[in-house]
Amino acid sequence: MRWVDAIIQGTLLGGLYAQYAIGMSLMFGVMRIVNIAHGDLVVLLALIGISLAAVFGLGPGFLVLLLVPIGALVGWALQRFILNRLVGDDPLPSLIATFGISIALQNAMLAIWSADTRSLDAGALASKSFQIGEMYIGLLPILVFVTAVILTAGLSMVLKGTKFGRALRAAAADRDAATLSGIDTKSIYAKATAVAVGILGIAAVFQATRTTIAPADGGGQLIYAFEAVIIGGMGSIWGAFLGAMVLGIAQVIGSRIDPGWGVLAGHLVFLVVLAWRPQGIMSRK
Amino acid sequence: MSEMLLKARALCGGYRDFQALFSIDFDVAKGEAVALVGANGAGKSTLFKTLVGLLPVKSGTLTFNGRDIAAMPAHTLSRQGLALVPEGRRLFKGLTVEDNLRVALDHARTVEPGETVWTLERLYDLFPILAERRRQVVEKLSGGQQQMVAIGRALMAQPKLLLCDEISLGLAPKVIGEIYAMIPSIRATGTAIVIVEQDVSLAQRCADRIYCMLEGRITLTGASSDISREQITEAYFGVKHAVG
Ligand SMILES: Nc1ncnc2c1ncn2[C@@H]1O[C@H](COP(=O)(O)OP(=O)(O)OP(=O)(O)O)[C@@H](O)[C@H]1O
Ligand SMILES: [Mg+2]
Repeated sequence: MRWVDAIIQGTLLGGLYAQYAIGMSLMFGVMRIVNIAHGDLVVLLALIGISLAAVFGLGPGFLVLLLVPIGALVGWALQRFILNRLVGDDPLPSLIATFGISIALQNAMLAIWSADTRSLDAGALASKSFQIGEMYIGLLPILVFVTAVILTAGLSMVLKGTKFGRALRAAAADRDAATLSGIDTKSIYAKATAVAVGILGIAAVFQATRTTIAPADGGGQLIYAFEAVIIGGMGSIWGAFLGAMVLGIAQVIGSRIDPGWGVLAGHLVFLVVLAWRPQGIMSRK
Repeated sequence: MSEMLLKARALCGGYRDFQALFSIDFDVAKGEAVALVGANGAGKSTLFKTLVGLLPVKSGTLTFNGRDIAAMPAHTLSRQGLALVPEGRRLFKGLTVEDNLRVALDHARTVEPGETVWTLERLYDLFPILAERRRQVVEKLSGGQQQMVAIGRALMAQPKLLLCDEISLGLAPKVIGEIYAMIPSIRATGTAIVIVEQDVSLAQRCADRIYCMLEGRITLTGASSDISREQITEAYFGVKHAVG
């Protein structure tokens, strides 16, 4: 029972990682951009959310409604004004740029919010849980997981079945050929990053209700998203979801073996996958 | 000659630090079929890429349908009715045949009333094998079928002018025949067409007019029926070459 519980808790933890990872996977899959600032954007949106909640007394639901469009706008502007100048066959310029953005964001957040840790009060939601047999499962983790499934399925359906999704996949497969078919790739890229960062608006609210947030936390969030994307196979949306689950389960099982081993177990699984199947579990190659 | 669709005058172009086109004069009339021939590296693909906006016009003028297009981005030009079947096909890998076609259909030029519209059905009539394969990813198709998808994708953009860069390359003679058989159907809709073709006699048979290119310059032009093979060979290899 102890291990079944660990797998369930790990899956639920993976739900949060999945919310970071699918956007990152989208950006890599479409534009070959590894967004180093991904984690910092989660932290930024969470801090904005915490401040909005404090000033206007908003609940988590309202915050999501505000943070998703804010995130989308931030993502769109980031792509439109900075990253679009750097996308190309060489992933290095955008890597360096997002690294710079990451540092700039951390410093800006430190100046605005100071180094204090903060969190969001989710009210009754945070403490509610169900009992199944001997196990207790929190309502909040379930909500996080269900949201992750809906986001992954939704994004994957948009990619498969809509005009926007086809344009994204076409631009990812061959940028010049997409242009020749009438696609304004820069505009499509800006929309893709808007989606990727918009999703972080949801993740930010969950993250801030689950745990505390401080301006320098972005790197820690980034590494989980990054590992999930690599485990699953770069550019595959369901791969990123699966990678997040693997990472979550590895972390929880690790911490059950020894409380200090949680994060380490996650990194170890990541390294094993990297050695055994560097293209990722879900990659077609 | 009827109204000009595409008109290039003293066009120069090329790559970052390499000039590949020198003072090109190139015209295509509405509904016309033109062939562009020349040896490897003559600049045929570079000219096509410059015409459709993938490469910048360094100097000279370029108009399409009476409009100055020298500084227009490629995606806008596609929506104006200028389509290219690129060298090497450049299909969207990982997408099905139908999705490859739909991408172009999604961003196609708005056709005017009375014009023929290229639909999926119309294309599947032209290339029935694509209807059978429409749910397969394009990598699974044979070279000839992939070329049909590449041509189909360009047609879905509803072009007024279709540029075809070596659509016969690497294909068996029978397949080449099948692919070239569609040219009359395309012309019947009023679409003008320019083909780059290694097989000069095939080019000559398909086209009303021929342009020969050598080292980035147009060296010969005229009606297909007026030009002899000897003239073409000379323009093709340069005057110094003895024709064997
Ligand atoms: N990406 C590039 N960068 C720099 N120079 C290039 C590039 N592509 C082609 N060239 C050069 O431009 C010139 C014209 O090449 P182009 O591909 O247009 O010739 P082509 O007539 O299409 O030949 P082919 O029959 O081999 O397709 C050549 O000298 C070639 O080396
Ligand atoms: Mg060529």
